[in-house]
Amino acid sequence: MGDEGETPPGSISEDEPQVNQDELILAQQRQIEKEISESIPLVGDLEPISSLNNEYSTDPVYLDKVKDLSTKYQYVRRTRPDGNCFFRAFSYANIERLLEKKEEFSEFYKLAEDSKTALVELGFQQFTVEDFYDTYMEVLKRLRAIEDADEAKKELHTLFNTQGFSDYMVVYLRLLTSGQLQKDKDFYSCFIEGERTVSDFCHQEVEPMYKESDHIHIIAACAALCTGVKVIYMDRGTGKSCNEHDLPEGCTPTVHLLYRPGHYDILYP
Amino acid sequence: MAGSALRRLMAEYKQLTLNPPEGIIAGPINEENFFEWEALITGPEGTCFEGGVFPAKLIFPPDYPLSPPKMQFTCEILCRWQSVYIYFTCSGDDPMGYESSAERWSPVQSVEKILLSVISMLAEPNDESGANVDAAKMWRESREEFNKIAEKIVRRTLGIPT
Repeated sequence: MGDEGETPPGSISEDEPQVNQDELILAQQRQIEKEISESIPLVGDLEPISSLNNEYSTDPVYLDKVKDLSTKYQYVRRTRPDGNCFFRAFSYANIERLLEKKEEFSEFYKLAEDSKTALVELGFQQFTVEDFYDTYMEVLKRLRAIEDADEAKKELHTLFNTQGFSDYMVVYLRLLTSGQLQKDKDFYSCFIEGERTVSDFCHQEVEPMYKESDHIHIIAACAALCTGVKVIYMDRGTGKSCNEHDLPEGCTPTVHLLYRPGHYDILYP
Repeated sequence: MAGSALRRLMAEYKQLTLNPPEGIIAGPINEENFFEWEALITGPEGTCFEGGVFPAKLIFPPDYPLSPPKMQFTCEILCRWQSVYIYFTCSGDDPMGYESSAERWSPVQSVEKILLSVISMLAEPNDESGANVDAAKMWRESREEFNKIAEKIVRRTLGIPT
């Protein structure tokens, strides 16, 4: 205090070694990620639709839309907003619904079982895919072994909230999505902007963790799991109701997701 | 899931030992700790780095391969120049953080792919995004001088007096 020679806090004199801005940004980003991971579970419990109101108590546009949503859906299950939310939500909701349908579960299991060979044929190196595939199959095996659907759902919830299992499930669905895009690259290339090839796009936007999902990811993920999804869009757009889209178009959706700009949660009719 | 990281690193080590790619040797420094590796990268033929053998260190995070390893050349003289040819940024005491290219990292990448991309960058200096501005300028404007320095670097890595 009062010492004139002292440099005021926060200012950097030119003689000092330069503070690395990138490092600071990374540190701040890590701090934010840490806060999110400490406060929001990977996959949350069921909550009534009205719980969404708490986020928008002073926002009439959103409140109208929540009201509209509550006429069609009973519950919402939140997922952690870490860039993986679509893949985590989709994977969870899809397996969850299959737990009540033994026959469909078996078909899905068979599809999953054969998927590694398909990825390797597409050019993925076996040893890079193996661990994710094994974890994916282990989760499905554990669930298959539980007779009671409610007990199986509890196990699913536990596994999807165990970072190791949950993240490996996300990675594997990312790889299946990438595989689907590359398998049908002639079709998907029309949806990729700029000069990027489908495989560039997969390496940069699909395979890396924490990369957010777009329409194209969703369509390919649906095709990879042979599942249709209904996405309800809730944003500040005009109108009192939410827009909705079935993906792929014309499907009978079995998974319902709520999209708010930048984030996906699971919906339950 | 450090167990998964270890399993994967052992698989990669096995892969690199059974099918070593040309110009690369890599493996754990000490088999007690699979999370620290040393790699030797051979300068690509037909480039100013031909004949050089460049040692580097790789440090793997506990959640590898969800997150990428950090890679750092351990031959000091190269560090001062590497940023020209390798777009990993060169900053302070961490001359070569592979993390700066983390957005290209994905869990299906591998040690082998990182090292191969380092080799191809040595072969094709990327002066557009050179973090070391002086060296990038020298590469563009005074190739002869640049090559002389590169040659010195190569000789140093081989322990030949420069």
